[in-house]
Amino acid sequence: MVFLSFFADLFAYEFMLRALVAGVIIGVLAPLIGSVVVVRRLSFIADTLGHFALVGISASLLLTSLGVTIFADEPLFLGIFFSVIGGLLIELFRRSYKNYKEISMVIVISLGTALSAIFFSKARATGSIYTYLFGSILTVNNYYLYAIIITAALVALLFILFGRQIIAVSFDETSAKFLGINVNYFQIIFMVMLSVVVSVMLESAGVLLISSMMIIPVAAGMKLGWSFKSTFIIAVVFSELSVFFGLWLAYSLKIPSGAAIVSINIFILLVVSIVKKLVVKRQALKAK
Amino acid sequence: MHIDIHNLSFAYGHKTVIQNLSLSLASGDYLVVRGKNGSGKTTLIKCLLGFNPVGSGMIFFDHQDINNFNNWTKFGYVSQKFEDFNYEYPVTVDEFLYIYSLKGKNQSKRLKFLDQLGILEIVNENINNLSGGQLQRVFIARAMLNDPQILILDEPTASIDKLNTQYFYKTVNELHSQGITIILITHNDSLDNMNYTHILSMYQDLTFAFQSREKVEKEEE
Repeated sequence: MVFLSFFADLFAYEFMLRALVAGVIIGVLAPLIGSVVVVRRLSFIADTLGHFALVGISASLLLTSLGVTIFADEPLFLGIFFSVIGGLLIELFRRSYKNYKEISMVIVISLGTALSAIFFSKARATGSIYTYLFGSILTVNNYYLYAIIITAALVALLFILFGRQIIAVSFDETSAKFLGINVNYFQIIFMVMLSVVVSVMLESAGVLLISSMMIIPVAAGMKLGWSFKSTFIIAVVFSELSVFFGLWLAYSLKIPSGAAIVSINIFILLVVSIVKKLVVKRQALKAK
Repeated sequence: MHIDIHNLSFAYGHKTVIQNLSLSLASGDYLVVRGKNGSGKTTLIKCLLGFNPVGSGMIFFDHQDINNFNNWTKFGYVSQKFEDFNYEYPVTVDEFLYIYSLKGKNQSKRLKFLDQLGILEIVNENINNLSGGQLQRVFIARAMLNDPQILILDEPTASIDKLNTQYFYKTVNELHSQGITIILITHNDSLDNMNYTHILSMYQDLTFAFQSREKVEKEEE
């Protein structure tokens, strides 16, 4: 019954429909980018960029407090701007610590957290911090929805044109050179793309949970997939299931959407891991 | 493609690894680079592939300075232990080769290479389930896929057994007979199975000897 009323409300209220559309798009976008991030062994990168996007959000709130109203309604602008800066900083530090690339992320995440805390502390209206930390897909407005749609279209175009090269660089940077790919140039394009995706996911997933939405469905897909394609399809299916049931939980229990979606993601990963272990064990017994 | 190296020197910080090395290879030559660990073999390859910036000296490909050279699709490269490759993410052999094909290299070509290398039956296998020998041949297929003029193999037999090593050298000889220039680094493999034309011996005291096959054989007599 509860589920039926959720269904009815889904199409009865405009904000619910917006949340659904945003969720469905993010359900594909997150594992698409997530696959590349996992292959590149940069699973913490979305977290890092999210913290830098938060600098933009907090700067926006601070500017509003200071009477600068240009970014008052849409902190997304500065969010994207700072996220891209964060991405470029990671690339810069990655090049100076070639064998310890994760150091770059620690530096950038620390800087992002410190700047956000400073800006938030000086801003007067900080009521929306909670939304940006844990996500609130149900409050997504038209402006945000358009940003998600445009970003998804651009990412889709990039993958249609350069998907093969993106994956080639991700698997093996050395050999990508022999495809005539300028790896440095490519890393920067990918980093900018990732920064924009993280920024537009910020409101629905929350800065603390963006990474999980990208990585966990892929982690579950890796348990079941037998090829790159099958792993991606499985990840998208799990991601969409999490978005849909997460939306339901967020609406019914009035909890943050990012938290609800990620909880279901983790639940799916757990079930998949246990079932796979049991199947492998059974096969081993049969073989004996 | 002609390769000319003039007085190449390279150092990691203050540690010189290559000093005043010169050699010249013509199109279709087969160079075996020999030497103990730490004699600078892999460093030389990294210089040749542009991964190590040339400290002093010069490298030319068809008379073009390596610093202005960007025709890297002419190169095929199999690295020492495939250390750069991500082994855990599911990807089939065919998908893997597809990812690393230039435009216009279709599936029939991928299948042809796998067949030539004797591993056609694993085309739809997850690459992470392959044995060392199978994986080795998949990486050679990848290096061959885009019709390279030069194939560079860095200790390619390090992770495969004796039988596969023999099979592997036979494959390299066949590629060489098709006109591809081969540069092969080996730690201690016998030269018996190789149709090499030149040998570069590198030593830990930074000296080297670059000789043609005729000269090497004459000395042995």
